[in-house]
Amino acid sequence: MSNELNLDYTLLTPEFCLAGLAAIVLGIDLFAPQVRKEWLPYITAAGLIGILGLSLGWVEKESDFAGIIAVDNYTTFFRVFFLATAAVVVLMSAQFVRDRLKNPGEYYALLVVSTIGAIYMAASRELLTAYISLEVLSFSLYVLVSFARMDPRSNEGGLKYMLLGAFASALLLYGLSFIYGSAGSTFYSDIAAAYAGGTESFDLALLMGLVLLLAGLGFKVAAVPFHMWTPDAYEGAPLPITAYLSATSKIAGFALLLRLFSSAFMPVIDDWQWMFAALAALTMVLGNLVALQQSNIKRLLAYSSIGQVGYMLMAIAALSSGTASALLLHMSGYVVTNLAAFSCIIAWYNLTDKEEIADMRGMAERAPLLAAALTAALFSLSGMPLFAGFFTKFILFQAVADEGFLWLAVIAVVMSFVSLYYYLMVIKELYISKPEEEGRLQVPLSVTGLTAALAAGVFYVGIFPRHLFEVAQEATNLLFV
Amino acid sequence: MSIVLLAARVDLEHVLIVGAVLFAIGLYVALSKRNAVAVLMGIELMLNAVNLTFIAFARFVESPRPLDGHVFVIFVITVAAAEAAVALALAVAVYRHRETIDVGKISLLRW
Repeated sequence: MSNELNLDYTLLTPEFCLAGLAAIVLGIDLFAPQVRKEWLPYITAAGLIGILGLSLGWVEKESDFAGIIAVDNYTTFFRVFFLATAAVVVLMSAQFVRDRLKNPGEYYALLVVSTIGAIYMAASRELLTAYISLEVLSFSLYVLVSFARMDPRSNEGGLKYMLLGAFASALLLYGLSFIYGSAGSTFYSDIAAAYAGGTESFDLALLMGLVLLLAGLGFKVAAVPFHMWTPDAYEGAPLPITAYLSATSKIAGFALLLRLFSSAFMPVIDDWQWMFAALAALTMVLGNLVALQQSNIKRLLAYSSIGQVGYMLMAIAALSSGTASALLLHMSGYVVTNLAAFSCIIAWYNLTDKEEIADMRGMAERAPLLAAALTAALFSLSGMPLFAGFFTKFILFQAVADEGFLWLAVIAVVMSFVSLYYYLMVIKELYISKPEEEGRLQVPLSVTGLTAALAAGVFYVGIFPRHLFEVAQEATNLLFV
Repeated sequence: MSIVLLAARVDLEHVLIVGAVLFAIGLYVALSKRNAVAVLMGIELMLNAVNLTFIAFARFVESPRPLDGHVFVIFVITVAAAEAAVALALAVAVYRHRETIDVGKISLLRW
């Protein structure tokens, strides 16, 4: 490595803009009169979209900031990904926050700040940077989960999430310290170089480091057996934050895992491959089986998202350039689908104050568009053809099987069928059961538009996956040189 | 003279063992205590074990970047302080509602 550090701050422009946006949002909340607060979500979303456009300027560029933050196609992919997700979540929050939460300024500012953490998790090429980004994301989420201060469930979910998250961070850090001791550096490239010749003998420090690292990151992405916080945090959190947890926090964890393991630990793949394979199998099976007996829609989606994490972990276990691009594709499909589902659930909750599955009965009569969009999302999550979930799962499972993990792919297919059962139970409530009350519900136009756009996204990914797949390949190629 | 000799005899293994013991104590406290603040104390102990391990490796391991371990520790200390602030604020919020911070009794949400 040369001694000349590249300190080109322009590479970090999108993140500087994000920090500025957070400050502006807080400032408006603080100084502007009450009327303006109606506009806060739209200002935030406009800012996020603007920054998204800005970050497209780094497509096909490859550079890094001081060797610690890479700005390449992979980073650009996740910049766009996280900014778009944040913008959608902000729009979904508009009505919810206005009606039910205090301090909208802090809420939107924290969402923006957490996006910076998520982006740097994908971009960092050094362990300390990765860790700090992880904590930026986590700390914002701890506060956001417990944002409904008057709701004891929110506080409780937040406290549990915080304690378990801090515990996981301690495990992760202890693991990082062993890897630092074993490899002598915290830079991914130096770690790869240190292990390039293979470890000549049994390296206990490396193995302990990997186990602890996996436990710590397993907590963050909610892999079984480190998933205990997920249902509680999902149920306790305000609904839009549940959506955000299931999208950004999870995907950011995988973005970090993918870059870390492909560019630092590839030479010692034999040491960690089996751990990921075991975790993936456990996560798929347990997440989907426990989801069968849930009665609250948030908890159901929490367990179903744990099942999805299992599918994604398979890709890390069978790490290659094929599975990496399939993973990116699957994550995109999953996030679009999940956001579509949550946007319907939030709209329903805003109208009726109910979030039990049994309370959704007759949604098809009272709000047909919401019911149709939710059905599309649930079908997509279970992996029905035409919907996003089918192609993304198909490509992912095939890529995993190609790498010699046929048994994992078989478990995944079986579990997808199991998941169809509990998604169909929800759909049954929507369409077959009689509604509690008669009469159409008036869904606001903005909600209808957002939901329709997300549902269209589900179909777009499902019918034309090629476009997104090519982008995913562009983004991951540079990880495997 | 005797102090110099003592310092010379402290090897990497010794520091690592102290670190591991400290980490184990922290782990035990974090997992066994029912009081949220005590759990947090256990986690802080684990983080201090991490710091000790990092410093030991930075001191003893041949590395092209000998300062990295020290820098890591500075950041971990800072993050730990922030962590305590957020966790205590949440504990206060829970206490206002429930009059307890016993994580065993805070069970509105079932597993």
